[in-house]
Amino acid sequence: MAPSSTLKSPASGKVKRSGHSRKLFLKILRVLVLTIACLAVLIPLAYLVINSLKLQADMYTTPPIIIPRRITFEHFQTAFGNPKTLRYLSNSLIVASVTTAVTVIVSTLCAYGLARLGLRARWLALIIFVFLFIRFYPRITTVIPYFLVMRDFSLLDTVWAIIIGHLGITIPFVTWLMLIVFQDLPREVEEAAMVDGAGPLQRFWRVALPMAAPGVASAAILTAFLSWNEFLIASSVAKRQAQTLSIAVAGFVTDKGIQWGPMAATAVIMIVPMILFALFVQRYLVRGITLGAVKG
Amino acid sequence: MTVANQPAPRHRRKWVHDWPWMVAFVVPALFIVVIVQGYPLLFSAYLSTQDWILTNSPSSEGFVGFGNFVKVAQNEVFQRAVRNSIIITGSAIVVEMLLGTGLAYLASGSSWPMRIVRTILILPLVIAPVAAGTLWRMMLNSQMGLTNYLLSFVGVKGPDWLGNADWAVVSVIIVDVWMATPFVFLVVSAGLTGIPFELHESASLDGATRWQSFLRIDIPLLAPLLLLTLIFRMLESLLSLDSIYTLTLGGPGYATFTMTYYIYTLGLRSFNLGLAAAASWLFMAFAAAALGFVFWLQQRWQTSQ
Repeated sequence: MAPSSTLKSPASGKVKRSGHSRKLFLKILRVLVLTIACLAVLIPLAYLVINSLKLQADMYTTPPIIIPRRITFEHFQTAFGNPKTLRYLSNSLIVASVTTAVTVIVSTLCAYGLARLGLRARWLALIIFVFLFIRFYPRITTVIPYFLVMRDFSLLDTVWAIIIGHLGITIPFVTWLMLIVFQDLPREVEEAAMVDGAGPLQRFWRVALPMAAPGVASAAILTAFLSWNEFLIASSVAKRQAQTLSIAVAGFVTDKGIQWGPMAATAVIMIVPMILFALFVQRYLVRGITLGAVKG
Repeated sequence: MTVANQPAPRHRRKWVHDWPWMVAFVVPALFIVVIVQGYPLLFSAYLSTQDWILTNSPSSEGFVGFGNFVKVAQNEVFQRAVRNSIIITGSAIVVEMLLGTGLAYLASGSSWPMRIVRTILILPLVIAPVAAGTLWRMMLNSQMGLTNYLLSFVGVKGPDWLGNADWAVVSVIIVDVWMATPFVFLVVSAGLTGIPFELHESASLDGATRWQSFLRIDIPLLAPLLLLTLIFRMLESLLSLDSIYTLTLGGPGYATFTMTYYIYTLGLRSFNLGLAAAASWLFMAFAAAALGFVFWLQQRWQTSQ
């Protein structure tokens, strides 16, 4: 398995040698498995980007063209040249940013209130259960009634219908997350501030919030991703004007056939900014995702 | 709010006079959640007892009691969807747990190659499920797909992934694994860093092999985390709709109809509101039981720690 290691130490005993080559074997295995795993993540992403740049004629070949000799921006031009795509893009941006801003403000306050209300453990557990339940119950249950409610308020096909729908998911989730953060903060600092005469608002704003800032950042980032990527609620209430990018991507799949090029280009527009953003804020993202599961 | 007024332990007392403020902090969030989630939930419970197809009539055509539930339970497509959901979620979460845990061990450490590997491995988490479905639709396509082309290099003739009923189910599992293994990977990685290094050190001094210390130290310490992750993953996988929508549209035929996808088509394609609500409440009962179980476990662990 590892001839080099046996050659290097010909004099060493049998036990030591087999231990050595076993270690090398494990090391090679580790590198191999991790390389395959990384390729399994990267190849599909790369193929999507390549397809978005392929000529229409090169699109549907067997075997597939991996490195196209000629590339084209035609699909992006079709996408960006279409005022609709621009509207989808701006809708997605509006929905994600309004949802994130409102969620973070409302949920952080709520979580702080719950953490400092002095509730009995049992009551707090009940509230946490309700929030957790809202995070995980079949959302499809409320989507149809929500559609009817929005119809009755004539909010159908507006970004507001999507934003309000997203808030219903993100607020319980972020409140739950922030509750974990606030419960972990040392109370002594706040109690000291209280002795100095700081009111509840000041204690929240000047003492608790700065300590919880990394948690708030994580929550905001997770909310933005969730809202940007969400499909079910958006597609149920937005049919034309208010469509977001996720609906646009799904819209290329029809019973009759698929326009691969524009679909790939739209998917790239949707994915690539998020990947760059994720790389930029990776630490907060990881913290946010693991917080709920590890501390929960 | 009466709870806050009751005699509290001494360290809590000085917080008590703030409670009107804290209530004011809590109310906006509760208000939004009750309006956006609570009301539709009740509405949906009401719908489940009504005979109402939106395309036939703008309002309900009458009360049918449990009729919708009976009708749904006897529906062949629903039964098939339940079976598909169990097959897809069941196999996907087993693969995800094993693969995610294994990768977390292999990619541990703070060297720069490992940090890059970890960054790459979590990328699928930030990709929209609709886009993930789309890109795998390209990968698995029988003509332009890269998967079968790559398989041909190792001498395997790939199947018609999305055209064959059985392989389409496998395709849905593959996409679920691709999207969610990073979650397991991330959570287990975080859990591993929480295990004190000294434990492994003293175990190896006592002559334990790595495998033994994995079984005797890591697994017991990680068990609560692994179980939580498993159940979170199970629920999210059962609820996933977006990726199936862009990957297979439920097809070929009804081959990849899952519970969520079936309810979606029932409610938002056929606009059969009564049946869709009944089906989703059957689904809800199951999800509530699973969540209640997780929560009960969590509370037990918290009190035993």
